Amino acid sequence: MAAPLELFCWKGDYGLPSVDVDCLTVLAYAKFAGAPLKVHKITNPWRSPTGTLPALKTREEGSISQPSKIIIHLRKQKYNADYDLSAKEGADTLAFVSLLEEKLLPALIYTLWIDSKNYVDVTRRWYAENISFPLNFLLPNRMHCQQLEKLRLVRGDPVLEPGEQLEKELYRDAFECMTLLSQRLGSQKFFFGDSPSSLDAYVFAHLAPLLKIKLPNGKLQQHLTSLNNLQQYCTNILALYFPSDAREAPGRKTHAQPDSSDLDNEPHKRRNQVLSVLFAVGAMLGYAILTGIVSIKRERPQLKNSGHDDGDEEDED
Amino acid sequence: MSLAAEAFVSQIAAAEPWPEKATLYQPLKEDQILLSDSASSLAVQTFLRMCGLPVQVSCCANAEYMSPSGKVPFIHVGNQVVSELGPIVQFIKAKGHSLSDWLDDVQKAEMKAYMELVNNMLLTAELYIQWCDDYTATEISRPRYSSPYSWPLNHILAYQKQWEVRRKMNAIGWSGKSLEQVYEDVSQCCQALSQRLGTQPYFFNKQPTELDALVFGHLFTILTTQLTNDELAEKVKSYTNLLSFCHRVEQTYFKEHDGESQSGSSRHSKGSLP
Repeated sequence: MAAPLELFCWKGDYGLPSVDVDCLTVLAYAKFAGAPLKVHKITNPWRSPTGTLPALKTREEGSISQPSKIIIHLRKQKYNADYDLSAKEGADTLAFVSLLEEKLLPALIYTLWIDSKNYVDVTRRWYAENISFPLNFLLPNRMHCQQLEKLRLVRGDPVLEPGEQLEKELYRDAFECMTLLSQRLGSQKFFFGDSPSSLDAYVFAHLAPLLKIKLPNGKLQQHLTSLNNLQQYCTNILALYFPSDAREAPGRKTHAQPDSSDLDNEPHKRRNQVLSVLFAVGAMLGYAILTGIVSIKRERPQLKNSGHDDGDEEDED
Repeated sequence: MSLAAEAFVSQIAAAEPWPEKATLYQPLKEDQILLSDSASSLAVQTFLRMCGLPVQVSCCANAEYMSPSGKVPFIHVGNQVVSELGPIVQFIKAKGHSLSDWLDDVQKAEMKAYMELVNNMLLTAELYIQWCDDYTATEISRPRYSSPYSWPLNHILAYQKQWEVRRKMNAIGWSGKSLEQVYEDVSQCCQALSQRLGTQPYFFNKQPTELDALVFGHLFTILTTQLTNDELAEKVKSYTNLLSFCHRVEQTYFKEHDGESQSGSSRHSKGSLP
């Protein structure tokens, strides 16, 4: 308990402390429970002690990667955000976390990783830009395959393909889940009274990315923004517990404003294209002139003309 | 089914009354059915009884393949085939029977959440114990699952199913758990259910809902099925209000039929509750 525990997690962006749902859960819980964590925000999962993010490095028990296990470990270290909950509220926590994982998480995975427009324009771009060379070529695609595989296994359908049908089913479940959460929250500040608990950490971690990351195909986002109390709930938690990250959001937005779609890539791409075309044309011309396929006839120097004529004659032979 | 087709089908469903010859399909009771499928099937049967809708139980070796979603049980009502408790509840709601209409919004949210808890923890634990525990898989699950088929199909199908379930466990992060941890999770889940039930007769006091049907289905099956050891049943038995809940539902909905006990007695199960 003396030395602070070290947590490795994904870097934050869009006004969030981290872009990954599991990392957000752990970060939020740690803030709620007042656990002193030394947070390393990295973009290379291979640098973490377990190979995946989030990862909590403890002194006694090695490193832990799953959010639920991390929360249990923090509880053992006496950082317990659920201390004040009654037994029934503890049971409700388990139930609502299961609801989140069964109904909302698949839709979240779909919208961030499987939906083609969102994946290419936002998720893959973010990971490719932020992971260092050379992993940025390898990891985003691998993560995409892993998420698709996970979705297939969870749905029990080995030939699942992204498409409108699947999207409708997943989103319908997710809309219902969000509506249920909104009804349960009502007008309270947190799910169980005035102080946040582990359920709040889970709900916040699943809803905040939807709220903050601007996606081209944003049906889930629209539904979430229509539920005012949930939107207020997320912004509240961000403002109270992650004020420094929330302040970074405007900076990111100005970057995003002026046609972010190809701003970084285009100039380099165009320049490279023009240069390579010029190089190719120059090489072809040079080859043509040197071998005599193309002859440059000059008026004045007689010598050069005869030399060229000789070259032509040789070629004809 | 697309949403438009679903709306159309449910309209048609609502138009027809419940027929006399509705059938519920499940794998063979004596030799083939496993703990998780038996639990799901009992949950659906209990739900239908609670709604007062008669249904015939038909045991077929290929029930899993007949099902539209690949999962058992499924019901065949008139022209429609619906599988799994969730869609069946929706289907029956379209016909005008519902056990949970009288709940307010917060209670409905809680009911759905607890149903997901049972699916997420209890059902997954049952699958884990059946297929990821080597001893149970070798002694019980594989022989039973493949009993209707001859060699070599029985080996192929059994291993295929085992492999599929193990991959799923891997995907949801359960493959790193030991058997002890799984029993602990079951205990936690039962504790949550016990807390929620308290001293009430049903989860939402006066009347049973689909949550009661689901919980009864799983707990009764766990208590009456013989596995390689009794630890799972012991975990459930330690919560006395859950035990008395199971007794109560069995007495109310299953004891009308004398003689043959409808609630799944077989060589695999120990008959009625201890």
